[in-house]
Amino acid sequence: MKIKFLLLVLLFSNSAYSNYKLETVLDDLDDAWSLVFLSEDKILFTEMSGKLKVASLSDKSVNEINSVPLVQYSGQGGLSDVALDPDFESNNMIYLTYSAKDQNKKTTLFLLSAELNGNALENSKVIFQAKAPRRSPMHLGAKIAFLSDDTILLTSGDGFDHREKAQSLDNHFGKIIRINKDGSIPKDNPFINVEDALPEIYSYGHRNMQGLVVTKSGKIYEHEHGPKGGDEINLIQPSLNYGWPAITYGIDYSGAVISPFTEKDGMEQPLLHWTPSIAPSDILYYENDFYPELKNSFLVTALVSKDVKKVTFEDGIDVQESLFSEVNDRLRNIQASPNGILYLLTDGPNGKLIKILPKEL
Amino acid sequence: MKIAKYPFAVLSAALFTVLLMTPVSSLTKLIWLASVDMPVGIISSLEVILFDFQRMGIGLYLLVIIGFTIAFSAAGLISRFSPLGGKYLYAIAGGTAIFMTLFLIVELVFQSELIAGNKTIIGKILHFGAGFFGGYFFYSLISSERNYTFIIRFLGIFYAYFLLGLVLQWIFNPISASADFGFVFNELASDAQNALLRDFTSFFVATFIFSILGAITLNPAWFFSAGIVYFGAGIFNLIAIYAHGTGFNQIFISEFILGAWPTALALTIIMKEQKISN
Repeated sequence: MKIKFLLLVLLFSNSAYSNYKLETVLDDLDDAWSLVFLSEDKILFTEMSGKLKVASLSDKSVNEINSVPLVQYSGQGGLSDVALDPDFESNNMIYLTYSAKDQNKKTTLFLLSAELNGNALENSKVIFQAKAPRRSPMHLGAKIAFLSDDTILLTSGDGFDHREKAQSLDNHFGKIIRINKDGSIPKDNPFINVEDALPEIYSYGHRNMQGLVVTKSGKIYEHEHGPKGGDEINLIQPSLNYGWPAITYGIDYSGAVISPFTEKDGMEQPLLHWTPSIAPSDILYYENDFYPELKNSFLVTALVSKDVKKVTFEDGIDVQESLFSEVNDRLRNIQASPNGILYLLTDGPNGKLIKILPKEL
Repeated sequence: MKIAKYPFAVLSAALFTVLLMTPVSSLTKLIWLASVDMPVGIISSLEVILFDFQRMGIGLYLLVIIGFTIAFSAAGLISRFSPLGGKYLYAIAGGTAIFMTLFLIVELVFQSELIAGNKTIIGKILHFGAGFFGGYFFYSLISSERNYTFIIRFLGIFYAYFLLGLVLQWIFNPISASADFGFVFNELASDAQNALLRDFTSFFVATFIFSILGAITLNPAWFFSAGIVYFGAGIFNLIAIYAHGTGFNQIFISEFILGAWPTALALTIIMKEQKISN
């Protein structure tokens, strides 16, 4: 018992506190949400107010990209994720998610493709508009990832007020979407031949998924915010139902029960759930060699616990370690540079981009 | 007592209204869960209804008190000049207060509907109805003479309402409840698991029942019983810390408060009875 207790203490203590040095590379970022590396020195990042910027990490210069679409910047909405096309070097294509009003003046999630030419976007095209209209910009999801067949995965959140719709296939609330780069629907999508189901749906029964990663081996992992408790990491497979809100480990913000059930046949269990909530905001599966101790781990940034959870699974049991809590700020995003160096983005106004280096370097 | 009657009537009417409101959300969820083939049964329904009444109810309670205070004050003023009977005015004021409270917390604060039962038109009508009956209940409380037992009963019921959360947690989610007390349930031997659940559940259920019985019968012995149990927990907590060297646990403060509350009610009953008999 004592040994277990000691192990637990070691596990949850900041054992890695002294192993890294943290260097603020950029500051005064305004609600920065996501970033990608154009090269080891150059990043492209989004600010929720609708700004897409390019920055040089060596000279710290920041320039705004022109012709970014108008976004609805309020609540949890705004310009969200940015992703590079797998063939970016040859086609300069990037993808952006954002919230905006639809034709009926309701808020929904948009996915736009555009060509990045110098400091401007050209040939912009909305390739997906979620059939998930809502009154206020809440629970949009908005994460992008590419599968090895060059199709796009996109998370579309449950809209908060529409959580029950995550269980029906006639809408995009609480769904992971799979489309081709031109917005068309892949012929092997799981619900393409199901009557009354929207053909873009890849998996369903999700809440607000702000982490989505595809590993080199092709596995898809997603994490989602639970309500009060019940944040989850899931292994995503096509056509599966992940249960929200019929099964959950969380309760409502009001204290009410959302569902008394935590499991049911035909609904997937999470690989792990955090109760109480840590508010996971981004996930990276670290497959580089720069930090050998982090290799093949999930790194999950958290808004509430203000740290990065290093998560590995041993025989199906999760092993967790808290990293970088010395930043003591809400963490929004984590990315590895082409050389494998980790960068953290802090949340909110006056945000920072923080570079993580091993202490001995 | 005349002055105290009004605030305690608001507090009582608000609690009564919350009792009517929370099942709207509970039933909304249960109906939906059943519609997606979840195995909704009596136990799971009770779990949802009781937890909602206690957990969601406490948050709602504060809002309802604010809404009722404003609405009943206005209704009181209007009743002086209106031919409409007081009971109808207070009932309409109660319904309007709930409708407006739920409307405003969405429009001004959250921009989203936090109360599941208020998403539909039917839910909104039912919530209005809960407020309507709450207003009517308020009128019935203020329209006749009240003595101190009214306050004792309210405070006894409110004490039980507070304990209800712990009771439900131990009955429906004992593993989670035991974790709140520092137990890692799965690491206990099965006999220890049994003892833990059995003893803790009976501890909270018993004190909950004592306080309900005290509020109903106004027999101070029931309130004293609850007080003795919690004072005992507080005292033995300190003995455990200082005599037996266990870890410091500041829960003894809550235990003394939970002991003092029913004890004060019991002492008030005794003193009042003595005054009357003299």
